[in-house]
Amino acid sequence: MMRTVRFHGRGGQGAKTASRILGTAAFIEGFVAQDSPVYGAERRGAPVAAFTRIDSGPIKQRGVIACPDLVVIADASLIQDPAARVLDGVNERTAVFVNSPLTAEQLQAQTPLLGRLTTLDLTTIALQQCGKGGAISALVGAVAGRLVGLRRDSVREAIARELADLGLAATQIERNQAVAIQCYDTVRTVPVAPGAPQPTASARLQVPTYESPTRGTARISAAANSILRETSGWRTFRPVLVPDKCNGCWLCFAYCPDGVISMAKDDRPVIDYAHCKGCQICVHECPTEALVAEREKEGTVAWKAK
Amino acid sequence: MWQRETFKKIKQIPREEHVLPGTALCAGCGGLEALRLAAKVLGDEVVYVNAAGCFTMLAAYPFTPFKGSWLYTTMGSAPAGAQGVRDALDVLIAKGRLPERENLKVVVLGGDGSTYDMALSSTSGAITRKLDFYYFCYDNEAYGNTGMQLSPATPYGARTTTSPCSLQHPSGATREKKDIFEIWRAHKPPYIATVAPRYPLDLEEKFARAATFTGPKLFLALSACPTGWLYDPGETPEVAKLAVETGLWPLKEAINGAVTHTYIPKPKPVEEYLKLQGRFRHLFEPVVQTEAIAHIQERVNAYWEQVEKTEKAV
Repeated sequence: MMRTVRFHGRGGQGAKTASRILGTAAFIEGFVAQDSPVYGAERRGAPVAAFTRIDSGPIKQRGVIACPDLVVIADASLIQDPAARVLDGVNERTAVFVNSPLTAEQLQAQTPLLGRLTTLDLTTIALQQCGKGGAISALVGAVAGRLVGLRRDSVREAIARELADLGLAATQIERNQAVAIQCYDTVRTVPVAPGAPQPTASARLQVPTYESPTRGTARISAAANSILRETSGWRTFRPVLVPDKCNGCWLCFAYCPDGVISMAKDDRPVIDYAHCKGCQICVHECPTEALVAEREKEGTVAWKAK
Repeated sequence: MWQRETFKKIKQIPREEHVLPGTALCAGCGGLEALRLAAKVLGDEVVYVNAAGCFTMLAAYPFTPFKGSWLYTTMGSAPAGAQGVRDALDVLIAKGRLPERENLKVVVLGGDGSTYDMALSSTSGAITRKLDFYYFCYDNEAYGNTGMQLSPATPYGARTTTSPCSLQHPSGATREKKDIFEIWRAHKPPYIATVAPRYPLDLEEKFARAATFTGPKLFLALSACPTGWLYDPGETPEVAKLAVETGLWPLKEAINGAVTHTYIPKPKPVEEYLKLQGRFRHLFEPVVQTEAIAHIQERVNAYWEQVEKTEKAV
């Protein structure tokens, strides 16, 4: 029976690679595997998705997985992001993994989710053991491998192959393997129901009506409205000002790519947390260490409408 | 000795933002950083003509970070689009249908794939016709929006998805970066400059200077790219700084064809720049590719020796 897995993450976290790791691990065990990311303009921090299908025989399905057996959510902030559509097709039979410091029960109490929920704090594990919390593809892939019932060794081997493909150094690959296997062993398993009924969603192609240029080509009259889109959910860390240390040098303001730092009258930076993407340039460049990185905590990420 | 006249202190950088946040560009994008600084001098009275590329994500429907207009073109035709916009503005002003004070600047935004490759002929045409426009190339040395494929701007030794390091080509990319600056300069436009986001005053000064010229004003912006060059987004300024300090990215301008280097680094070894980025990791691991690194260093040395000869002779 086919198993279908859908991965959700933010660009740069490794949802696509995790899906490849899972597919490769299944292939190593002799299964037929298919994996594909959503092709689009993926960006670091933007919601991305990837799909893996595993079966013992040929797979004739193609395309997106609307009703997966397992949903793997690499970034809990995506649950609140309606554009990410992480809960699409999730029913009480679906297994759901969330990378979160909360237990399944705590998360369930905070945000009622359908499905069989399990959690593990992959970001903290990655931060403590790899020194970085950004790319967690190996960890996510290993957890998914465990949940669908693949063997430890094939997951370990798949991680090596896929990370080598990305050009990672041998020492980094070994580190990732070790930490990933630790996650493989500690994640609380939930049953991944094989072959949950898959209603075939029909997609209807809408043929656009052609209007001659005299009627007007695509024209949008809007100005400077990108500000309506918040990007606060992109962050793992937020820059925080230690006012006593700030010497008012303006460097953070000069180097911020998104222009989310403005200088107050007293030459102190004011950070627009609704739009800061958490790139940490200001933290790196501050000459007096007046800007420090603070881990975003679940529930503190502001999704307030302005 | 080149000196900044308008922008002497960092606190002269205008406070007002003209590229607003909320865009879907990557966290830590060096190209966005350069554009944001450039827009502080360009202002809001601008029509941006955007060739397909990473900057497509600036104005993702239905949102735009600009107060002015934005026109989207194919990768090869942004300068042609700019010609149309410029002509329309000129005709409307000549007929009295648009007051002179409502005149707008026309600014092309193109990545290196567009600039070095697909739009080269339409750019050449626009410069030859002395089109009064700005050209802003955000150069991240590969086709970034589609997942980092080799472009003619990719430097020797960089690993991209279409120049992997293999047994046959252990260095990754085997060709040298195309010298677009010299190709532009051969057309004798009034103003060309290279800029890097880590040098904001140099960048602002060059845009302020360009404003005094009529005709093509061309900019090449080093767009350090965490996603494609494989480093942490917070290191964008550091990577851009080392590109300049190692001599790999010369900061220069050409006024009516005469070149001046606006910053002469005390060159650091190229390794310091290369080592920061995952796209060059294969040059150091598992074995150090001494020859490839020496080749990159020699090219940089030869460039600066030539600069010393020619600019001293002037």
